[in-house]
Amino acid sequence: MSTALKSKGFIALALLPALILFLVFVIIPIFWSAYYGFFEWKGLGTAKFIGFGNYNEIIHDRIFWNALLNNLLLVASAIVGQIPVALLLALVLLRNSLFSKFIRSAVFMPMVLSTVVVGLIWGYIYHPQFGLANFILKEIGLGSWTRAWLSEPHINMLAITIPINWSNIGPYMVIYIAALQNIPSEIGDAAEVDGARGWRKLIYVTLPIIWSTVIVTLVLCISGSLKAFDHVIVMTNGGPAHTTELLATYMYNNTFHVYRYGYGSAVSTVIMLVSALLIAVNYAVTKRRSA
Amino acid sequence: MKPVRKIGLLLLLMTFILAACGDSGSDSQTADQSGGKSSGEKVKLSIWHNFAGDDLRAKTVRGIIEQFAKDNPDIELDAQAIPPDGYRQRLSTVAAGNELPNIFFVYAGSHSAEMYKAGLLQPVTEIAEQHKDWKEKFLPGAFDPYEFEDNQIYTAPIGMSATSILYYNTALFQKYNVKVPETWDELMTAVKVFNENKLTPIALGNKAPWVAQSTILGTLADHVTGTEWFRNAAAQKDAKFTDPQFVEALGYFKQLVDNKAFQDGANSIDNTQAEQYFIQGNAAMMISGAWTLTNLAASASEEQLKDIDVTVMPSIPGGKGEAKTISGGAGGGMALSKRTEGATKEAALKLIYAISGPEAQKAIAESNSMVMYDTDIDQSKVSSLYYKAFNLVKKTAITPVYDAYLTADAAEVINNGLQEIMTGASPESIAKKLQDAQARSITP
Repeated sequence: MSTALKSKGFIALALLPALILFLVFVIIPIFWSAYYGFFEWKGLGTAKFIGFGNYNEIIHDRIFWNALLNNLLLVASAIVGQIPVALLLALVLLRNSLFSKFIRSAVFMPMVLSTVVVGLIWGYIYHPQFGLANFILKEIGLGSWTRAWLSEPHINMLAITIPINWSNIGPYMVIYIAALQNIPSEIGDAAEVDGARGWRKLIYVTLPIIWSTVIVTLVLCISGSLKAFDHVIVMTNGGPAHTTELLATYMYNNTFHVYRYGYGSAVSTVIMLVSALLIAVNYAVTKRRSA
Repeated sequence: MKPVRKIGLLLLLMTFILAACGDSGSDSQTADQSGGKSSGEKVKLSIWHNFAGDDLRAKTVRGIIEQFAKDNPDIELDAQAIPPDGYRQRLSTVAAGNELPNIFFVYAGSHSAEMYKAGLLQPVTEIAEQHKDWKEKFLPGAFDPYEFEDNQIYTAPIGMSATSILYYNTALFQKYNVKVPETWDELMTAVKVFNENKLTPIALGNKAPWVAQSTILGTLADHVTGTEWFRNAAAQKDAKFTDPQFVEALGYFKQLVDNKAFQDGANSIDNTQAEQYFIQGNAAMMISGAWTLTNLAASASEEQLKDIDVTVMPSIPGGKGEAKTISGGAGGGMALSKRTEGATKEAALKLIYAISGPEAQKAIAESNSMVMYDTDIDQSKVSSLYYKAFNLVKKTAITPVYDAYLTADAAEVINNGLQEIMTGASPESIAKKLQDAQARSITP
């Protein structure tokens, strides 16, 4: 008992430095930012207290709702496009053959590239006049399908989800491979003796075992999509006319282009609340299923 | 085990959220504000500017600053070149922390005005008193954006923005036998002919949405409404952006869009890509600012440049504004921070004069970039296209650029509004949005 307490005390002590750093640089600024949200402030000069004025404006701002919708679209596309594809790739590339190692590296590659590079590459792929996408469409006789991918409203947001998913699959695949390799081979053998093969084995044996990993990747996926920012800034900067605006770019543009620091802070507080809500929903749903 | 995992998950989650919220990154260095020290010691002087690029002008200005440091060994100069994209943010961040450098580059218009209102600047009128003939050689209007108080100037412009020069490809105009447009009808004819021949009439790169506003709308609207009306509307006195003449001006812009004057996807390519598209002969015209001269001088071959000529935008039938004008105005300049005193201030004034004095102005003009200063340039030192433009601008009247007089908020609205018009919005709705934004942000 006493040794357990002692070790707990020691653990707390060891965690303290990290905890303090975390508090100062992460937790406190959250409240600080929420506090700034109550002010009308241009970044220069004096700030004027306006109560819930900024928050009220956010709720009535159509651009904000559009940005939220775009973010939700990203979340949906990430859950549909990243998790299953990563899992599938992990299952196929589980063996340590040279070929699968090569493919694994190839899939992981975009993650190593700077997002600015990814954004620029895809910006050129989508280029309305010289872009690869339009070129291929013309070559295979689908000339009527060519589009100005990043500037036409309604399709530009979908066009953006592709590079984002493409560049994010890698790490999830690696996480799944690690999880799959941790499954004791006896379980697999036992399942096969019981007649579980293929899809059956995947659904009734493999997935339940790695379910906690799946939940973690889901959380990562959702929070990653909510904080999506860099690809969009590089490819469209939230434009044209706010059609590809995300919550983060909306916050950034308001703070650093229009110089409304108070409003930007309020937006970032709302982003936090939305994220927390979504993660809570996700947690509740997946918890029930795993129980 | 469960609660621990919960907490772990929560912490993980918060890290990500924070990564989304934070990121404003204030890694700025603290500028030395100690002011002048006692004699014998070096005077410390800090300067921030945005001439960080590889273009001739940036190199010229950096050269002037380096030369100044060499010539004045008693001054310890800390010069920081910050890329233009992040420049205003960096400056605002250090201003908020009261850590501004002694000298810093400010843009004309709302940027310097806001710095002045926040009490961060002090006048540099002393330089003008020391060098009387220097001030007189500035072109008319050069100090308009910087005379915040009577008879006090807060900086001297070291550049001039001419934002709406009509560049055209003479070879293409000859090949298809098109007249270089001087009126709106001639422009529409040219648009029609080039479209029939599968050429883009006007190259536009409006991904950063200020481009269409700064290069096209400013002059177009001024031709329709007149300068007087715009100044009133910007001040929200006796004029509103919902007035019929402004809606009409937006209508002309929409007419360009409807007649496919711009290439597909103009909103997703940037200005530099549009310049390349134009110089390679894919487009017959491009309406752009003087910066295009600098860019083309750096990237295009002399072969390509010799086909390009410059003129003013066509006139509008029945327009209230003067025809044959170019939107533009004084460019930015070096401002002096309020807290600079004593020996540091003396050194700072000396450096500001070195950067904006007659020799510097000539050097900057000869780096293929416009200045607001009466100077003669050596034709052999500049590109042929720049020489044409330099002389065009010299004899042309200047009208205001929209975003220099609108508030940052309203400028954002009209920038995005033009993109909306390009994707189908009506001029009336955009005029209303602009009016709302300007009215909201101008009333305290």
